[in-house]
Amino acid sequence: MIAKLAWRNIWFKPLNTILSIILLTSSVAIITVLVLLEKQFEEKFNSNIDGVDLVLGAQGSPLQLILSSVYQVDAPTGNISYDSAKVWMQHPFVKKAIPLAFGDNYRGYKILGTTTDYLEKYEAKISKGKVFEKNFEVVIGGEIAKKLNLKIGDEFFGSHGDAAEGEVHDHFSYKVVGIAEMTGRVVDNLILCTIPSVWEMHGSHEEEELHNPIHGEEGHRHEEGDEHLQHEHDHDEHSHHDDKEMTLDEKGMEITAVLLQFRNKMGIVTWPRIIAQNTKMQVASPAIEVNRLVSMFGIGIDALRYLAYGIMLISGISIFIALFNTLKERKNEFALLRVNGAKRHQLLILVMIESLLLCVVGFIFGTILGRIALMLISSSAEKDFKFSFNPYEFIWKKEGVLFLLTLFVGFFAALLPAIKAYQLNISKTLANA
Amino acid sequence: MISTKNITFSYNKEQSFILPDLHCDAGSTILITGDSGKGKTTYLHILAGLLHPTTGAITIDDTDIVTLSESKNDKFRGQNIGIVFQKSHFVSALTVLENLEMASWLASGKKNSNRAKKLLEQLSITNQSDKLPNQLSIGQQQRVSIARALMNEPKVLLADEPTSSLDDKNAEKVIELLTSLSKENKAALIIVTHDSRIKEKFSNRITLV
Repeated sequence: MIAKLAWRNIWFKPLNTILSIILLTSSVAIITVLVLLEKQFEEKFNSNIDGVDLVLGAQGSPLQLILSSVYQVDAPTGNISYDSAKVWMQHPFVKKAIPLAFGDNYRGYKILGTTTDYLEKYEAKISKGKVFEKNFEVVIGGEIAKKLNLKIGDEFFGSHGDAAEGEVHDHFSYKVVGIAEMTGRVVDNLILCTIPSVWEMHGSHEEEELHNPIHGEEGHRHEEGDEHLQHEHDHDEHSHHDDKEMTLDEKGMEITAVLLQFRNKMGIVTWPRIIAQNTKMQVASPAIEVNRLVSMFGIGIDALRYLAYGIMLISGISIFIALFNTLKERKNEFALLRVNGAKRHQLLILVMIESLLLCVVGFIFGTILGRIALMLISSSAEKDFKFSFNPYEFIWKKEGVLFLLTLFVGFFAALLPAIKAYQLNISKTLANA
Repeated sequence: MISTKNITFSYNKEQSFILPDLHCDAGSTILITGDSGKGKTTYLHILAGLLHPTTGAITIDDTDIVTLSESKNDKFRGQNIGIVFQKSHFVSALTVLENLEMASWLASGKKNSNRAKKLLEQLSITNQSDKLPNQLSIGQQQRVSIARALMNEPKVLLADEPTSSLDDKNAEKVIELLTSLSKENKAALIIVTHDSRIKEKFSNRITLV
């Protein structure tokens, strides 16, 4: 009955109530989004680095190298010679080396030339079909299979570069031979094939001087489109005499990056300097770069978090003011309840419940709104980065703390008004009414 | 039945009251009159247990309410004393019917809807029962106050200037309802007033001087 009265009371002054709820909702929503985003972001980022100690690639921004080769979100820094990379890949310190060659894309999904080690690294099992063996056989990520509705045996043409609108390479088609399981990692959004497929797609060895086989370098797309027109004829000839399949042993080819896992941890420390001094390549550590990235984001996240706590404080003050202001007009009501047999502490509880109800309602709306916001963020991140968040995840611990914090704000805001209601002098109130 | 003995009360050293003894049986009425500042409302609040007298005893049936602890006093008041105020106070967020139910819930823990509906019918305001109190006229509000005071079948019904804000017709009606309903409910009725319109109707009068 007290709770019912409290509920009626908060809706009796709807404007005050709505203001408080809006403030609470927005602060809870911001914090919820931050909590979910931070956790899922870190999870995704960290799960992709597992087993990659260093990345070998062309010189440039190390962060860019990591983003492009590990997370597939940025343009690559450039290409490296496969022959010189092999020297380091076969080094005794190295436990496993996975070469990557960036190919084309199919409807915006990257086609990545690599070895089957790549699938193993991401623990992506083949759910249907088999792994790629021959050139132009591809294994597609679980997400792609779902989104593009591709099946085993389907064939498609890649578009040049990383833009879905790129020129279509229609002289070779890729054939889907396997579909990988969903892993929640980048591999879900990749089309994987052998490295020689990427080489062959862009012309054989002889054409090397004329155009670069892979697309590491910026600004190279447009020229290549033109070249293709000129060399259309060449291509046809090649595809005839290229009956012998290209293999990884081909000399003088280029790749984009190599993911390295070390046997000897010394390498992780010493290689960055050794390679920078002795070659035209660089190695970058995903752990360090991701840390750097997260700390850069961190400033923004912290700022948002402080903003959210600020709004929560304001909502507390708003509840306090609303309760305190109405206290004067409600004195008579309180006195009346006491005359009817209500005890002092029942009035205290009434005021407390009113405030806490607001907080609970605000928290519920905030949690929902936060998840809607995350859904929107997720769908735009999905479009731009092939990176999605799960809005239905509940982080019980952090959100529980947030709930308690919200209740605490409500408790604190109601404390003084509740004590005033508790101390109300009924006789004086009624005599002055 | 309510009776008092040797009640004194003081707000501070300068202002103290010695209040006359009274005795009122169930079903009968006492009128307390007197000029402003003579302690009429104070006396009523003491009788209701809202103020604690400096000395004296107030016996309602067999209970001396002066000796009760505060929370017992709250409970006793809820169950045994009904009060009608000069200006009607309500819980403004609740409907008329819910206001009455609240009165019985606070006293007994049960929502006595049947009793509430019966009283509203007796006071011929049944059609207002789902309205909010401030949507009613002053006369109707005063009738709802009477209904609320009678919700828990009190032994004592106290009325503080119940007619002062009403016109002649409504005043007469309210007094009539108070007396008839207190008789029907076997409650001792004590009316505090300076309203000359109703003084003449009652023979049993105490004047504070």
